[in-house]
Amino acid sequence: MSAAAPAELAIAIREARAERLRDGALRAILVLGVTFILLPLAIVVVYSFSSVAYGVFPPPGLSLRWYSHLFGLAPFRGAFVRSVVIATAATGVALVAGFLCALALVRSRFPGKEALRGFLLSPIVIPKIVLGVGWFIFFARLGLQGGVVPITLAHIIVVLPFVVNILAANLVGLDESIEEAAQDLGASPLRVLWHVVLPQIRSGLVISGLLSFIVSFDQVESSIFLTRGENNTLPIEMFLYMEKWQDPTIAALSALLILFAAAVLAAALLVSRGTNLRRMLGR
Amino acid sequence: MKLRGPVILALMAPALALMAVLYVVPLGVYFINSFHEFRDGRILPAWTLQTYVRYFTDPFSYRVIGTSLRLSFVVTALAVLIGYPVAYALHTRVHRPAARAAIALLLFSPLLVSVVVRTYGWLILLASQGLVNTTLRGLGLIQEPISLLFNMRGVVISLTHILLPFAIFPIYSVMDRLDLSLKEAARDLGAGWRETFLHVTLPLTMPGIVAGALICFTLALSAFVTPQLLGGGRVQVLPLAVYNSTVEINWPGGAVAGLTLLVISIAAVWALNALLRRLPTV
Repeated sequence: MSAAAPAELAIAIREARAERLRDGALRAILVLGVTFILLPLAIVVVYSFSSVAYGVFPPPGLSLRWYSHLFGLAPFRGAFVRSVVIATAATGVALVAGFLCALALVRSRFPGKEALRGFLLSPIVIPKIVLGVGWFIFFARLGLQGGVVPITLAHIIVVLPFVVNILAANLVGLDESIEEAAQDLGASPLRVLWHVVLPQIRSGLVISGLLSFIVSFDQVESSIFLTRGENNTLPIEMFLYMEKWQDPTIAALSALLILFAAAVLAAALLVSRGTNLRRMLGR
Repeated sequence: MKLRGPVILALMAPALALMAVLYVVPLGVYFINSFHEFRDGRILPAWTLQTYVRYFTDPFSYRVIGTSLRLSFVVTALAVLIGYPVAYALHTRVHRPAARAAIALLLFSPLLVSVVVRTYGWLILLASQGLVNTTLRGLGLIQEPISLLFNMRGVVISLTHILLPFAIFPIYSVMDRLDLSLKEAARDLGAGWRETFLHVTLPLTMPGIVAGALICFTLALSAFVTPQLLGGGRVQVLPLAVYNSTVEINWPGGAVAGLTLLVISIAAVWALNALLRRLPTV
């Protein structure tokens, strides 16, 4: 065993030191990144227990007064129920229409198919405020105003592209010979769809359903002209409240929404048995 | 299952009908308004290009467009500059799949909560006696609280936070697919970390950067809640112009501003997509 030349040794030591430094730096970056991402959510939870109305860190004391204030405000309750109803209905319609459409897109070949797919995905790119004003004028002309119907119809268009995109990506990889086998054994096309195709894209259905629910639940500018006080959705009710007041009532509500989101996510992860999250981004 | 023509059409019919009635028609109605004129508090029925002429000869329009573009560029650049190291750190330092998934979920989690909630979080953080100012003063970096709310700074910080996951995930997913043996080969051949990064990793992950930038830029351009709540009226961007015109019943003016926003968005998507196609695929 011969000793390494001194020069090589020095290089090796320097490299090892640099590697350690990089390792530390990258770990620090990861911690900082996660902190930055979570900070606004964490602070909201802290502030929901503040004893004072004004924003000062750290809060001088703790209390539950903002929660009791929140529960005294009926508009938020109504808005929450409305948002859940709208998000559920829009997601349901989008899942059915989106699944059928994705199936047709994946299993067919015709001229202009790519253009059609581009058209179906195009609402993602259109600024939501533009769509919002469009729906405002459209529904006003139709005389269809107030209630949850116009907002639900609008949200279907907002979430449909996500559903089509994710389900199409899930359908592409399916082995068609399984369906052919089922058909050869005498299953009708509907039974094949229900018992063979749908179970295979279960995770795609869960993820696209979850994503559309969240996206619908988060709509502000696409729906703000369709609400008129009596039918505000939750984010719009919060948005309008925040334009006027900035006390921690919103923090209390936000903390509950964070809890709600965590619960929905946990349920979805359970149902889909820990499926791949990256598909959520539709790539 | 093989599908035949009529079946394909029937399957697509619900989605296409929804898109035609609830998407094409409302957008059409919206843009038709740009060919009318708003005068004396009402929309005149006559067809005219006057609204366009007025919009594009008004210096204020260009200030709004300029603010929108500046905000989108800055926020996109920040999101990519912060997102890339975070994605790289996650990719290279965390190897256990469960740990990776957990951290990815944490980075993704703000998207599950309304943008109004996230903006509210920044409202608390950036207040003059909020956590950010208190910390900076505690560190002795500043003497007086700096004003981070109701100006461009607050909007930039908050919007960067909101868009960061959209920068991290495309970059991370490209890194995930990256052939790491290429990197190993470069290092075996004697290249240092810097050379490997600059000549192998960075060029190969460029598609992720461009894809992330594409999403961030278009979302920043159309951001509404954050500039409205944190801009304090000082950050006049295109979506706010559309909103304000519509509130004032000036649908024609709002339509022209909205059309401008749409054209800029589409141009950005087109340009970045063209760039994406020129890059080597992983």
